Amino acid sequence: MATVTFDSATRMYPKADRPAVDNLDLEIGDGEFLVLVGPSGCGKSTSLRMLAGLEEIDAGSIRIGDRDVSDAPPKDRDIAMVFQNYALYPHMTVEQNMGFALKIAGVAKDEIGRRVAEAAKILDLEDYLLRRPKALSGGQRQRVAMGRAIVRNPQVFLMDEPLSNLDAKLRVQTRTQIAALQRRLAVTTVYVTHDQVEAMTMGDRVAVLRDGVLQQCDTPGALYERPANTFVAGFIGSPAMNVVTGPAVDGGVRLAGAVLPVPREKLARAAAGTGRVTVGFRPESLETAPPGEGVPVVVNVVEQLGSDAFLYATLGADDDGDVLHTADVVVRTEPRTAAAVGETVHLRVREDCLHVFDPVTQLRVD
Amino acid sequence: MTTLASAPQETVSVAGPVATPRRRRGRRAGKVTAAGPLTYVLLGLTALVSVFPLYWTAVAASKTNAELAGTPPPFLPDADLFTNIGRAMEEAPIGLAIVNSVVVSSCITVGTVLCSTLAGFAFAKLRFRGNGALLALVVGTMMVPTQLAIIPLFILIAELQWVDHLQAVVLPTLVSAFGVFFMRQFLSQALPDELLEAARVDGASTLRTFWSVVVPVARPAMAVLAMLTFLTAWNDFFWPIIALTTDNPTVQVALAGLGGGYVPDTAVIMAGTLIGTLPVLVVFVVLGKQIVGGIMQGAVKG
Ligand SMILES: Nc1ncnc2c1ncn2[C@@H]1O[C@H](COP(=O)(O)OP(=O)(O)OP(=O)(O)O)[C@@H](O)[C@H]1O
Ligand SMILES: [Mg+2]
Repeated sequence: MATVTFDSATRMYPKADRPAVDNLDLEIGDGEFLVLVGPSGCGKSTSLRMLAGLEEIDAGSIRIGDRDVSDAPPKDRDIAMVFQNYALYPHMTVEQNMGFALKIAGVAKDEIGRRVAEAAKILDLEDYLLRRPKALSGGQRQRVAMGRAIVRNPQVFLMDEPLSNLDAKLRVQTRTQIAALQRRLAVTTVYVTHDQVEAMTMGDRVAVLRDGVLQQCDTPGALYERPANTFVAGFIGSPAMNVVTGPAVDGGVRLAGAVLPVPREKLARAAAGTGRVTVGFRPESLETAPPGEGVPVVVNVVEQLGSDAFLYATLGADDDGDVLHTADVVVRTEPRTAAAVGETVHLRVREDCLHVFDPVTQLRVD
Repeated sequence: MTTLASAPQETVSVAGPVATPRRRRGRRAGKVTAAGPLTYVLLGLTALVSVFPLYWTAVAASKTNAELAGTPPPFLPDADLFTNIGRAMEEAPIGLAIVNSVVVSSCITVGTVLCSTLAGFAFAKLRFRGNGALLALVVGTMMVPTQLAIIPLFILIAELQWVDHLQAVVLPTLVSAFGVFFMRQFLSQALPDELLEAARVDGASTLRTFWSVVVPVARPAMAVLAMLTFLTAWNDFFWPIIALTTDNPTVQVALAGLGGGYVPDTAVIMAGTLIGTLPVLVVFVVLGKQIVGGIMQGAVKG
């Protein structure tokens, strides 16, 4: 087991005009479960493949433990990888698939058999050891891919969207199984996903990437509570945080003619350059206020989920000259008292639940 | 991988437009549509047309020249077959020729399939400088007619004192541009990159990956290439008759020396041809199964 360190690691694909992974700095602790998350094309897979040794590192370095592995081939890095489409060898049985790496490493036959049997037991694959991959269901294939990684007992597990080919229910089930398994084996794990729910539920820490640049790396709770910029704010949480910009006035930000209170110090710093301020508030931190107080929004759609209701509403344009864009706002409310479509609701943000960002740099203001 | 295949399934398209209600019922039931009567008739006809020349070779091989010249020509085989075969074997060293041809064709086949798969894999999946240019060069050689190279080749072989030795026939054809191109096309499409990456992460060297991962995936294409190569090598006449003599011939060279004389002895030629064809049939039966299996496997995965 070991730590993993990305030290300004950069990958520029040939003929690309900007790096797919740009100066990535990341420290992953021993036994930690780190999730890399971000929208499609942000460089998650590339980062993982750099760590695996499948992709060159154009600048910077990567260390596993104390060893600089930047130029080491995959086999010398003591890592095991689970691929998105599992990449099982089609002509080998489950048993052979899991034992292949050990066989190459020259491990004795009965030792291979023992370790494969052990992994098969953990993953509930004992009945399928003699089958070929094409005779397995998607979930079983996924477990074989996991098994292939486990038997090697590596220093680091790498997983690239291992659940994305499963149906929704199985995905939720497997998600908890993988997390539990990782905790039990206590092997350092880097896990790639584009699904922020997966990231939040599985990771000890979550690293959010955008366009090859690391935005924030923190515990799921901290990402939710204190997003470092508007991108993270919008990416983490479901439905996403509402982020709107308006002119700074005395005591707050003016939205749709009303003033949303913002703490004085933050307001001053955020509005310093432009006189405007960007605020973010989550659907679940909004509550209705009596008319005359709070910010008015017009309800467009009401989504009843049973336990909650979500209002999809429009924040009207500002009415006195300084016209800003209208914005869509999502509000979580009690299902029984939910407003009707077309109605105007007045909203206020619960105490301490307002996030303030600089409208230019998009960075959080504390 | 070979279990799914059977002839009627492949030719369903032939009878497709005239599907009868009965066949529709079959279609609903599941995997593969059942074949209707028309399919069988067409298949039977095709088989007949294909088999007839072989049958007639057998008939002709069992007659005398005079009987063959009669009108109408004979349609049933005779007991003279073995006499004629005996005569053919006396006239030319056909036994030796068959052994030679088996050796030559097998060496060429093994060499071509192995080299083509290796090179095809490299062109399809390995990143190296000049990949594209080299492939273009290889494919380009397909456009140079063999005949152009014959004289320099013969001079070379003569200088090596290999005339009338089998290696003169084997060595120049140990790898073929077509084979390389064919395997490249197959592998670049049938072999996912992740599989190779998985093998790399598992610690396999490139050569080990080739044996353990690439070859199993390439097997159907290798069987096709093997059969094509074996047939071509077996039937090759032009270069062997230049490089070899009738003292140490391949089958085609030996056959060329049969039945010579003022009037060609058709019966003897046919008898020689017949036994010269049998080994090819054996190869076809052995490899054919693999090929059909390969086609089915590709189809299911695709
Ligand atoms: N082999 C390649 N050659 C050139 N550019 C590439 C290559 N692979 C990826 N890229 C580019 O690098 C960027 C990052 O790709 P990457 O595969 O890491 O994204 P990702 O975050 O894994 O996305 P996804 O969630 O869709 O898998 C993308 O813009 C992509 O177009
Ligand atoms: Mg990816």
